[in-house]
Amino acid sequence: MRHGSDEQPRHVTPPGDAPRVVDQGSVWILVAVPSIWAAHFLLSYWVAAIWCAKAAPMASLVEPRWIIVGLGVIGAAAIAWLGRIAVRRYGGVFVIFEEITESSERGRDRFIGHVTLLLCVLSVVAIIFTVIPGLVFATC
Amino acid sequence: MRFSIYLTLPLFLAGCSGRHNWLASAGAEADRVEGLFWVLLIGAAVIWCLVIGAAVYAHRRQVDPSLETQARRFIIWGGAVFPSVLVGTLLVWGLVILRDITADEGDLTVRVDGERWWWRVIYETSEGDVVTANEIRLPVDRTALFRLTADDVIHSFWVPALGGKMDMIPGRETRLTLTPVKTGNWGGLCAEYCGGAHALMRFDAIVMEQADFEAWLAHEAEPAQVAAGDPGYTVFAEEGCGACHTIRGTEAAGPVGPDLTHLAAREKLGAGIYEMTPGNMARWITETHEMKPDIDMPPYPDLSGARLDRLVAFLMSLD
Repeated sequence: MRHGSDEQPRHVTPPGDAPRVVDQGSVWILVAVPSIWAAHFLLSYWVAAIWCAKAAPMASLVEPRWIIVGLGVIGAAAIAWLGRIAVRRYGGVFVIFEEITESSERGRDRFIGHVTLLLCVLSVVAIIFTVIPGLVFATC
Repeated sequence: MRFSIYLTLPLFLAGCSGRHNWLASAGAEADRVEGLFWVLLIGAAVIWCLVIGAAVYAHRRQVDPSLETQARRFIIWGGAVFPSVLVGTLLVWGLVILRDITADEGDLTVRVDGERWWWRVIYETSEGDVVTANEIRLPVDRTALFRLTADDVIHSFWVPALGGKMDMIPGRETRLTLTPVKTGNWGGLCAEYCGGAHALMRFDAIVMEQADFEAWLAHEAEPAQVAAGDPGYTVFAEEGCGACHTIRGTEAAGPVGPDLTHLAAREKLGAGIYEMTPGNMARWITETHEMKPDIDMPPYPDLSGARLDRLVAFLMSLD
């Protein structure tokens, strides 16, 4: 799979025929998904650090454990919502069996939708991996 | 050339034996880490063979477009789903081991403070703290809880044969449990670079039968037997050694250096690096920085003759 628009000869698809995705701000969805992962990672550290600093040494992590799980669920839900947009608005599919070579708004949208879905899976797995240590450990 | 390379291979196996061998199965915690290690090693070897085998198979086989759908599914399941689940499982397994070996319960509690470059060791007993240094004795088949901290830089406490290692961090307390299952003298060391004499920051971890350990601990709790007017102690006091070192039962109560109350009962000198002999003791006092660079203790090169002999004899009597 490759983004064919960069490699298409200009005479096949005249420049300016399709709106540029960057100008329209359509690529935000690509950035948003891993940003949610990064925000969850940062917030998880903050919760654990503040809890361990304010609570007595070796305090139980029972409460922040569920905060971290809650943050994970919220993050996963936000990613699922973006995944839904990637499917509905961008026409993205998770598995593609042909190259996206069409230099058109439709082709670019499909490409963004597909990449967004892949990033959704990666980010959800990363969030789960961040939550697991919080579930296993009961102490600071 | 190739044969000579093979000849050097046994040298690498030297790390697989001896008192620092983490595959010695001398501790319950080390056994758990070893179990994870073998699963990882064998699993990685099997997966490597499968991947290379698949690559060779794919390279030799002629392209068949009708199998592309199957191939893509294979890549998704074998290249994404399976590794994610496997790594997740190993993560949970490793975390559970880490959680268990950092539990905060034990049959006895030992506080260890990492200094540059030695170990302050404090046994917590019902009669109060028992302070010693640079040697840790443990009863076999009992779980010892270590409460670890550091004086000014980060160290790491590790007895490879007995269990996992744990950072010692100034201003924080970390915990580690060790459950020795074999008696013997195992090697301990600092596993985090901490300055000039880092490689010389070692200790003996001596695992004893329960009764022997209790007798040792009771003796260690006793003050030193120093006769009034002991000529060696006189030298010790005149040279100002008591400003840094403590000998319980005397006026020496310095908190800076290792407690010397039962110094000669230890097997090693200088934090696990020299045999405890009169010759090494004399050299330690006069050529301190040749024996262990950068340490805070100043050398006493002017101390010689009868005064040095008396001081060494006194220190070697502290058993």
